[in-house]
Amino acid sequence: MAISFKHIKPLLQTGTNTASRWLSYIGLGIGVLLLLCSIQMYINIQQMLKGNVVRKEGFDFISITKTITNETMGETEKNLFHKKDIEAVKTKKFVDDVSPLLANQFRVQLSAGAIIPFSTDLFIETLDNDFIDTVPPTFNWKEGQIDVPLIFSSDFLEIYNVFAPGQGLPQVSAETAAGIPILITCEGNGLKQTFRARVVALSDRINSVLVPKTFLDWANKTFGNNNDISASRLYIKTKDANNTDLLNFLDENNYKVNKDKTKFGRVKQVLQGIFSALGIFGLLVVILALMLFSFYLQLVIARSKDNLQLLITLGYSPDWLSKNVSKQFIPVYIGIVLASLGITSVIQWLFHRFAMYQRPEITSLVHWSIVLIAFALITLSVFTNYRLIRKLVYKMF
Amino acid sequence: MQLSLKEILPSYFDVARKNTSEVWGKTLHFNKGEYIKIVAPSGSGKTSLIHFIYGMRNEYNGHILYDNLDIRKFIIEDFARYRKDQVSIVFQDLRLFPEQTVRENIELKRQLNPFHGPERIQEMADELGIGNKLESKTQICSYGEQQRIAIIRSLMQPFDFLLLDEPFSHLDNENSQKAMNLMLEESKKRNASIIFADLERIDYFPYQKIYHL
Repeated sequence: MAISFKHIKPLLQTGTNTASRWLSYIGLGIGVLLLLCSIQMYINIQQMLKGNVVRKEGFDFISITKTITNETMGETEKNLFHKKDIEAVKTKKFVDDVSPLLANQFRVQLSAGAIIPFSTDLFIETLDNDFIDTVPPTFNWKEGQIDVPLIFSSDFLEIYNVFAPGQGLPQVSAETAAGIPILITCEGNGLKQTFRARVVALSDRINSVLVPKTFLDWANKTFGNNNDISASRLYIKTKDANNTDLLNFLDENNYKVNKDKTKFGRVKQVLQGIFSALGIFGLLVVILALMLFSFYLQLVIARSKDNLQLLITLGYSPDWLSKNVSKQFIPVYIGIVLASLGITSVIQWLFHRFAMYQRPEITSLVHWSIVLIAFALITLSVFTNYRLIRKLVYKMF
Repeated sequence: MQLSLKEILPSYFDVARKNTSEVWGKTLHFNKGEYIKIVAPSGSGKTSLIHFIYGMRNEYNGHILYDNLDIRKFIIEDFARYRKDQVSIVFQDLRLFPEQTVRENIELKRQLNPFHGPERIQEMADELGIGNKLESKTQICSYGEQQRIAIIRSLMQPFDFLLLDEPFSHLDNENSQKAMNLMLEESKKRNASIIFADLERIDYFPYQKIYHL
């Protein structure tokens, strides 16, 4: 037959100290509310800023350079990414792939032949094909081949078209640009060779003149004299350019990044920082309130010590007593946490409706994880409470 | 069921006490159904002995065996079962809940392992003359009344041994006899033993063994 706690309940001296009891209830409530609200806001920020980035094939591509300061200005070595820097970036979990933007290590001259009387010194670079947004099948080169395909930044064409009229040069469309035969002359190590280049595509993503990797590797070996693969720019392929871990990593290493692509991330970084701090503060308040509550419980047990001791002497099981005494406080914990959860729901509803004008990225309902955390908090409170009471009751034997 | 005392002596007693006592330092076996009287003058360790057997204190040398198990090796929960199912007690200092009513005090013990239904509380209280006190707070009852409450409380559970520590110190002869008869009747129902420790011999306790502490 189950033993009833009805006759035992009056033996627990919950005492006259109602104020301290209510203070600990309120403290716990405020702590839980702060914690739940902070986490909900954190989730809101995540959800709202996720959709704001232009994505290609589900990935973001960002280029990074080392920040050139007055101290490092003259030291090229310090401003380049070396093999170990590239490996370090590659190992990060928020980075899906990395490719260095390798440049020519010899002199390159470009001329447009007879059609446009234009000639300039140029840099050419190469990047893994995976990183280029427009790679036609003709973008490849084999040793001995005189034709070299090029991918041009569409920005360069735009710049050219801006200054061309002033120079008495014809403006060209993207299609025409692709048709213009260009000559590139590579010079170095006492050698000089001219190649026929053709623009096979324009790129929105890469601000450079790209040649196939096989060509630049060969040309660097032939005309250049430095075999190091150091690069001044790295391209990073990532699922989310606004990932705060990624941004923190870049900041820590003093890497400069294409700001446009990560500006939402910066906002997110700051807001997440604020709400993380609030969340930690909430957690501290919860811990403090639980401690306050544990003092209150100790007081209750101390006041009821004689009665509890006599019950044990009469044959009541300390295990049964601990369980049943702690059960008395379960409704209190459930009440406090559920009230906080309710208030969080109301705040979220108001936030969505009136502050965010019902933006579709977030919902008026609290995130499921908030409900989960609320239940985890109830479990935690009940468990710590039970452990404490059990310890105190067993001490009485 | 057997309760055995194997050469027990309170650790705070002089070893010489073994020579003058029929209990301290001796090996004794109490069987279920036996009535045992322990006569002890003040300060001879009567309450200590009862507390040792009940498992409330363990400052003694030697061993107390219940059913051949050393009670010193019991864990906390074993003692809870021991006190709920096998050994009941009337304390010399009664140990009642002063703020609770008489009925609540008795019910607290009864519900733990009920040997009787709740109606038996009223019957026993009537029998011992405190039937009209059941709803009163225990602290306003006289010491004699409280002794009777403690006696009724001890009879609410099943037991093999009933330990009595000066249970009639504040009762007149007539009430003591009534209480004794009730306890004898109840122990017969359980085929239980009574270990009765008191200052002097009492005629109306039909003991089979008597020991001088």
